[in-house]
Amino acid sequence: MADWPAGVGRIVLAQTDSTMNEAPRQIAAGASVPFWVLALAQSGGRGRRGRAWDMPAGNFAASHVMAPKGPQADWALRSFTASLALYEAFDALTGRADLFTLKWPNDVLCEGRKCAGILLETDGARLTLGIGVNLVAYPEQATLEAGALPATSILEATGRRITPEALLDALAPAFARWEQVLIEDGFAPVRAAWLSRAANIGKPVTARMPGRSVSGLFDGIDTTGAIVIDTGAGRQVLPAADIFFAPS
Amino acid sequence: MSEEKYASDVAFIRALAELLAETELTEIEVARKFSEDDELEVRVSRQTDAAPAIQYAPAPAAAVAPAPAPAAAPAAAAPVSDDPAQHPGAVTSPMVGTVYLQAEPGAPQFSKVGDKVSEGQTLLIIEAMKTMNQIPSPKSGTIKRILVEDGTPVEFGSPLMIIE
Repeated sequence: MADWPAGVGRIVLAQTDSTMNEAPRQIAAGASVPFWVLALAQSGGRGRRGRAWDMPAGNFAASHVMAPKGPQADWALRSFTASLALYEAFDALTGRADLFTLKWPNDVLCEGRKCAGILLETDGARLTLGIGVNLVAYPEQATLEAGALPATSILEATGRRITPEALLDALAPAFARWEQVLIEDGFAPVRAAWLSRAANIGKPVTARMPGRSVSGLFDGIDTTGAIVIDTGAGRQVLPAADIFFAPS
Repeated sequence: MSEEKYASDVAFIRALAELLAETELTEIEVARKFSEDDELEVRVSRQTDAAPAIQYAPAPAAAVAPAPAPAAAPAAAAPVSDDPAQHPGAVTSPMVGTVYLQAEPGAPQFSKVGDKVSEGQTLLIIEAMKTMNQIPSPKSGTIKRILVEDGTPVEFGSPLMIIE
């Protein structure tokens, strides 16, 4: 753990319901922010908008709690720094950067399949990032929502069996480095790095939002991080949506 | 389209026509999207000698009839008189994103019109880039109006609620 970022707490639990629920409990119990909390088993993991997130033993489930500076509207940019950090951690631990790509806003794909999920929540005082990774196990296609990307695991795709602790120890310093870049140099270098690793730029994409959807070609992200879709009739800039790539 | 739907649409258009006659409005534009989360967007305008006064007001489908009152100002005056964003009790959006009135689908709404809320209590969530931003009440009071619908986009500075 020579690289563990200075001033950042590291909490490893044998078991919890969800590290997203664990974060405020740790603060109430006196943990100082920022910190990471990792659970080796999780009974009630959750994804975006209440979706369940399964967490078989051996997979990764952790939350990072921080108190970002600057306007709250910019806090969401940690979607990009977190996915870049996860990409780098996978690269460092598997040596297979060629397999990994990024999907807006914060998915890390392995061979085009979903192998990780990141969710951010904030009450305006603190920002909590929840990160789940299919290290050894992944859900069957039949259990996923219609149209969802198929899933894979790091073990399945790379043959490497990575422990949750090893991933945390690679992820935390990578995230701290990208946070430093964001604070010192702004979003531009983060955006450039993200775009260079993004999947399917220029390819067909559909953005689904409640009550409507937008289809066109994936035209990258703008300077605020919103996804840009070229519909043919113009460019649509969307800050929140579910993104679906056309089957290739 | 079912007979029932057709009849209700005719009644809706008739109500709009009556509104035009009753008020000094010259235009009412309605965009309605039928889906899981029905959306209704209403735009009204009044032609004057100067630029037309235009007011945008997202409204829930059930609240069609009481369309925003026309601006009664003379032609040269400011075009809009009851912009909710200018209301002293307005809670405005700190970011661009999508509004959710519940923590997750199926969960009870964070707050409803008439509810008493305390400072710091979560009023709603705005999602941007998979970040769920809980928007806290800036003060204690009673929710007078909710100006946004679940699942709809908001801009920076958009009025979300009126709390008095």
